[in-house]
Amino acid sequence: MNVNIEINGKELQAENGKMLIEVTDELGITVPRFCYHKNLSVSANCRMCLVEVEKAPKPMPACATPVTEGMKVFTHSPKALAAQKAVMEFLLINHPLDCPVCDQGGECDLQDFSIGYGEGKSQYVEAKRVIKDKDYGPLVATEMTRCIHCTRCVRFGQEIAGIREIGATGRGENMEIGTYIEKSIDSELSGNIIDICPVGALTSKPFRFHARAWEMQKHNGVAVHDCTGSNVEFHTLRGEIQRIIARENQDINDSWISDRDRYSYLGLNNEDRIFKPMIKKSGNWETVDWEEALNFTAEVIKNGVGTIGPDSLATLVSPNATLEEFYLAQKVTRGLGSHNIDHRLQQVDFRAQESDPLYPGLKMSVKQISEQNAILLIGSNIRKEQPIIAHQVRQATIINNAKISLVNTQHYEMNFNVSAEFADDANILNNLLALAKVLVQKDKIDVDKAFSKLISSAKVTDNHEQTIAELKTDEDSLVIVGNTAQTMSNYSQIKIIASFIATNTNSQLAILTHGGNSASAYIAGAVPHRGPCNQVEENGLTAQEMFNKDLTTYIIQNIEIEKDLIGGDSEEVINHLTKANTILISSFVTDKMKEYATIILPAAIYTESSGTYINVSGTHQSMNAITEAKADSKPVWKIWRVLGNLLNINNMDYMSSEEVKDEVLDILGDKDMQSSINWMDFELDQVSNRAEYKVKPLGIYAVDSIVRRADALQRTADGQQ
Amino acid sequence: MAEIRNYTLNFGPQHPAAHGVLRLILELDGEVVQRADPHIGLLHRGTEKLAEQRTYNQSIGYMDRLDYVSMMCNEHAYCMTIEKLLGVEVPERAQYIRVMFDEVTRILNHLMWLGTHALDVGAMTMFLYCFREREDLMDAYEAVSGARMHASYYRPGGVYRDLPDSMPQYEESQWHTRAQVEENNKNRQGSLLDFLHDFTERFDTYVDEYEQLLTNNRIWKQRLVDIGVVDAERAKQLGFTGPMLRGSGIAWDLRKSQPYEVYDKLEFDIPIGTNGDCYDRYLVRVEEMRQSNRLIKQCISWLRDNPGPVMSDDPKVAAPHREEMKEDMESLIHHFKLFTEGYPVPEGQAYCAVEHPKGEFGTYIISDGANKPFRLKIRAPGFAHISAMDEMVAGHMIADVVTVIGTMDIVFGEIDR
Amino acid sequence: MRALTQFFKSLFLLELFKGLSLTGRYLFAKKFTVQYPEEKTPQSFRFRGLHALRRYQNGEERCIACKLCEAVCPAMAITIESEERADGTRRTKKYDIDLTKCIFCGFCEESCPVDSIVETRIFEYHGEEREDLYMTKEKLLAVGDKYESQISKDRGEDASYR
Repeated sequence: MNVNIEINGKELQAENGKMLIEVTDELGITVPRFCYHKNLSVSANCRMCLVEVEKAPKPMPACATPVTEGMKVFTHSPKALAAQKAVMEFLLINHPLDCPVCDQGGECDLQDFSIGYGEGKSQYVEAKRVIKDKDYGPLVATEMTRCIHCTRCVRFGQEIAGIREIGATGRGENMEIGTYIEKSIDSELSGNIIDICPVGALTSKPFRFHARAWEMQKHNGVAVHDCTGSNVEFHTLRGEIQRIIARENQDINDSWISDRDRYSYLGLNNEDRIFKPMIKKSGNWETVDWEEALNFTAEVIKNGVGTIGPDSLATLVSPNATLEEFYLAQKVTRGLGSHNIDHRLQQVDFRAQESDPLYPGLKMSVKQISEQNAILLIGSNIRKEQPIIAHQVRQATIINNAKISLVNTQHYEMNFNVSAEFADDANILNNLLALAKVLVQKDKIDVDKAFSKLISSAKVTDNHEQTIAELKTDEDSLVIVGNTAQTMSNYSQIKIIASFIATNTNSQLAILTHGGNSASAYIAGAVPHRGPCNQVEENGLTAQEMFNKDLTTYIIQNIEIEKDLIGGDSEEVINHLTKANTILISSFVTDKMKEYATIILPAAIYTESSGTYINVSGTHQSMNAITEAKADSKPVWKIWRVLGNLLNINNMDYMSSEEVKDEVLDILGDKDMQSSINWMDFELDQVSNRAEYKVKPLGIYAVDSIVRRADALQRTADGQQ
Repeated sequence: MAEIRNYTLNFGPQHPAAHGVLRLILELDGEVVQRADPHIGLLHRGTEKLAEQRTYNQSIGYMDRLDYVSMMCNEHAYCMTIEKLLGVEVPERAQYIRVMFDEVTRILNHLMWLGTHALDVGAMTMFLYCFREREDLMDAYEAVSGARMHASYYRPGGVYRDLPDSMPQYEESQWHTRAQVEENNKNRQGSLLDFLHDFTERFDTYVDEYEQLLTNNRIWKQRLVDIGVVDAERAKQLGFTGPMLRGSGIAWDLRKSQPYEVYDKLEFDIPIGTNGDCYDRYLVRVEEMRQSNRLIKQCISWLRDNPGPVMSDDPKVAAPHREEMKEDMESLIHHFKLFTEGYPVPEGQAYCAVEHPKGEFGTYIISDGANKPFRLKIRAPGFAHISAMDEMVAGHMIADVVTVIGTMDIVFGEIDR
Repeated sequence: MRALTQFFKSLFLLELFKGLSLTGRYLFAKKFTVQYPEEKTPQSFRFRGLHALRRYQNGEERCIACKLCEAVCPAMAITIESEERADGTRRTKKYDIDLTKCIFCGFCEESCPVDSIVETRIFEYHGEEREDLYMTKEKLLAVGDKYESQISKDRGEDASYR
């Protein structure tokens, strides 16, 4: 329902009950504020947003005053301005004279509003209050004397991060913000308190004193360390990335990003970075120029394919690569007659891969997760795997009081209310089968013999029945299969049963994949069983199968096999790589990698190359190069392009990465990304039972070669594990 | 019969009488100039464009470098335009200081002009006398701003610092005994105002000396009288301002016709010529020096009696004093923001002009409400004057070209900007 | 009658001799010559010459890398790289002034909240190659160390005006 109000003499309609500040923000009328934040609750304790409301005896805080019929508001009247000026003066009483040494200087709300709404000179001559400084861990630097007690960080902790790590103690002049006991802040979203802190009390520790806000260039980009596709802003100074901050996207990440996305840039300038192409000649590494390196590479590939056959070539691409890189990699590989291309490093069971949709993902926007009423999370430590999706799940529990059930092999600490947790140390499948059994029995679903045999042994408890009931009650329910499930040796079964449960409870099935861009990999055809956009091809070798037999040539793009691939650290895998010609297209090269590699082509890091990322819900976001490729490194898509030319692959004359993208999108046609996630029929008996084989999934700060090199992240509690 | 073509002569840009980087293409019929085609742009630095990427205050230093012989007057026009947009009041003392230094600048400019003009025409010694007096005025510049030429002293809202109460002194050395040094330091015992006062007392005699050397000198008159005549009507049509216009007999002076700062409180006269030739313009400028001297005297006596602030007290525009900046939070924030972001100027446009030594110097600023001008346009008097070059030299001998360049008082900093 | 006076005035080169007499007078007048470079003309305490970075009396450099001078510099002659020093304070890693760009407007000194960057009285520096005119932090601190007494005296004299 709308009401008629008047703001600054302008008549307009606004939604009843909306806060005044929301209305003025929509209209572009500036009302100063410190404590109000769009994505946080209203606390109205800074009093900066005082405005004059007709007939109100005193100025009212715009953030906590709902609009009502006939309201007349003046945001810039003398009374309002006087109130704001007075508040500003109070806020500055205890503020230290830190501007010149404060990292917030130049992007500080306190400075801006002091200029815009405050006095020019101080009347305060008494001593200022000093607060003992806190230690919040390796990510957030503190200077609590600067704090103005807006409590945004406290509310963020309660409402978004879900951990009450920060709070206020004391009253009046003695009020202090801090962790209740001396401890670091361990939330995986902790970096966001830096963004929301309106003053310099909370700043980024790794960024500390590095650059001023005004001297940095701002570039829009996408975070690539998980499949969420969070929007970020890269800030660069003289061609170096200085920091990453959140960019608002109310469809994906609201105003938040995970610490992993925020601090991963720290790994970009690691000493392992290589800048010159290298070739191993009789056991010794020689630095060569690009022409020689590429010609030699082409020669090696041609020889292998020519003498042993195309099947002896395998290409392994990092799941964080761009759509363009995936496409060109598979084009070169398939152009040579091989189908051995994969990106699924964290998967061992590929049996049901034929039934995958266009790409495994989510049939709704990330934000819509927060609108669900029931969610079943299977094999997922979601907070550490996809922190922003976990945030949206948590929002669902807050907004909709959604019922969340977990099926895992162990107990994971969640920051939201869990309605049922099934943590069977022995087998994740048992609980899934029990859930399926409830369904079969209740709904009298006809299933084939093999399946009924499978479920017959499952033990059903009340919790299982409750979970199924929750999923069934509402249309808005979701079954999510997470990263941990994918690493399991019976992933295919998990997937099939999850699908069975989803279908029969009228829920959506979603798969959260490993890596930042595996949706692109599927669409571009960087999987062994399908070409670009679902064109069915002859089956090639999967990432695991590639190392089961001797191949002559491996092309490995931005992967540290021993850390990124399940089982990659085994002697067998390394032996295969050492024996074969291993071509590394990589930004970072360790001594270990040098042992088994034959050729090293220095790749530009993702921030140095343009490219497209498709997130779990099919939103494709293109990014320009943020900085130039360093020294002699080259964007990967260009390396593939030239290799393609040297190997006489047809139609490889791309001038820009956009041309590559356009080609993929042409093949894709007008397919709607989200509706393309239609799971094909699973044959329930297709998969025989297989003893569960558990792998410890990669930790939150070990997911890819960049994050692993971000030292500040490694020093956090999560990084230490 | 062979075709007879005029001889084309390239005058400048490396000619000592070209006053910087003027390049003139002269078409000569014998020694008579048929056509003069001034080429400009050799000193173009894109000041107007540069200003669009700098905060308002940052461009003050660039204003000095427009007409680099009348530095503070350029700053004055620029600061006045910003003040007009901001609606900032300038304290009276600052207004007097500005007027005083505008007139100091006028004398500086005219001395420079007189010295070089005479030198071009052949009177070598003038240059030395003029530069001797310039030295004192430059010392005044240095004392007040720290720089002898590019002062960056005026600020929107006033001037940067008050006038100093002491003047630097000569020091004893093996070439100068204590007695000699004391003699030299005689006028440096008091404040800057005392120093300037001493100068104004002496200056009229100096102008007499210049006149003694030039005004009746037959060679000077032969070279100047009836050269480059522009009648009153034509001068207006050509957009002449300043001495170029007044030399043609039009009593137009912004200080009188639209007084800014405190000119309406001061007494001075506007000299005008009758014939509109180079000689009249010479006489006008010489008289202007005397008038400026008069103005400086009046300013000195006012400034001696009226101490006070020299900068607006609007904290949103004027940077706080250093002591305040180090002690109080609001001042520190304002200091920080003023020196990094500058101040936003309300949306709008404004034009302000001053009576510059060379004519009407104005700046036109369009503001889009940001901390940088959306567009800055500089009206440089020299540009209008040099456009009349062809008209003024056509029919004259080639030697007169130098006289005309001299009489225009051309400085390329402002023409090319 | 007037024409006659004019004629005689002109015939006897009166106005030229008048001019000459002035020149003659100055020929015998006392000379004012300053024997530069051994002698110097007086210099104001506000003089804006070569830059220097100052230190506190305990030897600690004043500069806190706030970058105000870098921001305010109209010619973009100042380049600063800042970092957190081992003791946790904010310091410059690099402080360069390109004297070939500098326009000596004095804004850097005006903006400095800790009186670190100053413009000294030195105006007779030179460089034999471009690089000599790129002042680094070390060079600037060296200038500051050398002339500290003069610098602090000048700031002291000017303090009441700023």
